[in-house]
Amino acid sequence: MHPLKLAFGSCILLAMAAPVHAQGKFLKKVSNAANNVLNTVNSGGNNSSPAGGTPAGELPNASPSSSGRPTNKAGLGLIATPPDVAANLTTSESAYATKNYGEARYALQQAMLGVELQIGQSILKALPEEILSLPRQAQQDQVASTGWGWAGLIIKREYQKEDKALTINITNNAMWMQAINMYLTSGMMNQSMGGQQNWKQTRLKNNRAVIEYDESSGYKLSVPLGQSTLFMLEGVNFANEQEFMKAAEAVDIEKIKDLLNEK
Amino acid sequence: MKLLIVALGLLLGSSLQAQDFAKHLTEARTAYTGGKLEDARFAMQQMMHELDIITGKEVLTLLPQKLDTLSANIPHDEVTGASGFTGVVIHRDYGKAIAQDGSEDKVSLEVITNSPLLGALNGLLALPILGNNPDQKVVKINGYKALVTKVSSTGEKDAFEVQLPLNNSLITLKAPGYNQDKIVAMANTIPVAAIAKAIQ
Repeated sequence: MHPLKLAFGSCILLAMAAPVHAQGKFLKKVSNAANNVLNTVNSGGNNSSPAGGTPAGELPNASPSSSGRPTNKAGLGLIATPPDVAANLTTSESAYATKNYGEARYALQQAMLGVELQIGQSILKALPEEILSLPRQAQQDQVASTGWGWAGLIIKREYQKEDKALTINITNNAMWMQAINMYLTSGMMNQSMGGQQNWKQTRLKNNRAVIEYDESSGYKLSVPLGQSTLFMLEGVNFANEQEFMKAAEAVDIEKIKDLLNEK
Repeated sequence: MKLLIVALGLLLGSSLQAQDFAKHLTEARTAYTGGKLEDARFAMQQMMHELDIITGKEVLTLLPQKLDTLSANIPHDEVTGASGFTGVVIHRDYGKAIAQDGSEDKVSLEVITNSPLLGALNGLLALPILGNNPDQKVVKINGYKALVTKVSSTGEKDAFEVQLPLNNSLITLKAPGYNQDKIVAMANTIPVAAIAKAIQ
């Protein structure tokens, strides 16, 4: 709908809803608001007022982009609202009872997402606050889930101090995980290039693992956990393999396995 | 009589599935309340699978009993697969398996539901550029965009298939021995809107 029509329609509705004694004052405000919209349209969408002031509703430092549309400078983002597991289970149950299977599936998927996000958060809590003097980057904590399916549950934690960084990635219940885990733990692969070993089998607290080194990205440790979880640790600017493995040992792998019900 | 037995079988199957759904729901609730999140998640995965199988059986009841002059082989009806990954495959076929000239003459209708793998394929199917392939043509089946592909080689008996994408699901009709117009006419007897509603 054209903005003018929208503004005009809203104005009429609001004016009708207002008490009679307030209508005169209200209509004046409505008229001013309509004029502001008109000015905006006439100036090709540029919201800056002719007097250099700030029109109502516009942020003082919002600068228009080259197309004339202002760029967003404010807003508190979205409120984190993980799906309510119990409520979604009830919705799924009622939808199922009325044979509304599509709705039952959607609600069930939401319930699963809710549980997975809670599992992810509990794993983040189980990770150390600091590893080898590297503090965790709280803003970088991530739990993402696609529900049941290809990508599964992904948990990410970062630690950093100056140019030294450590990243933990835990992927669980992804469909491709079993093949990867089988490959990594087969013990059949070992590789060296030009006398330099870049990929080898190792162990982390009795769990079979693979360690890799790359000149540009640093160390990487992949530890398959149980049937469907992969724990991955990436370290940048670690002095050597020993130091990187010491960092890996700071993580309570058994606790992660326990939380994900991996044997 | 045969139909009655099949119908009773389906009914009994759904009733058992309904019990399983309720059982897993109780398990999920108990585990969740007790803080056993991983167990709750596992029970929900079981529920999801039950739900997908039940939906598949529901879709079977929507499929036509006849396509052109061919009757449905109800005993061949199948709902199989893994929901959340390859998808659940709902299968029905029509007509006799072997034609008089000895060639395969069975029309098959398959609906794959809730497969994340289909997202990309369906995106491709919706691209009009595919219409440039002489063996492919974008048509409308009951108002939905679909792709007709000639799958037979030169010299062989005509064989076409119709693929109709629906978000994460795909309806495929294969009709060896039928020409393009005939398969499109057949496809138009499939209640696509009702299927889309059931699997949404």
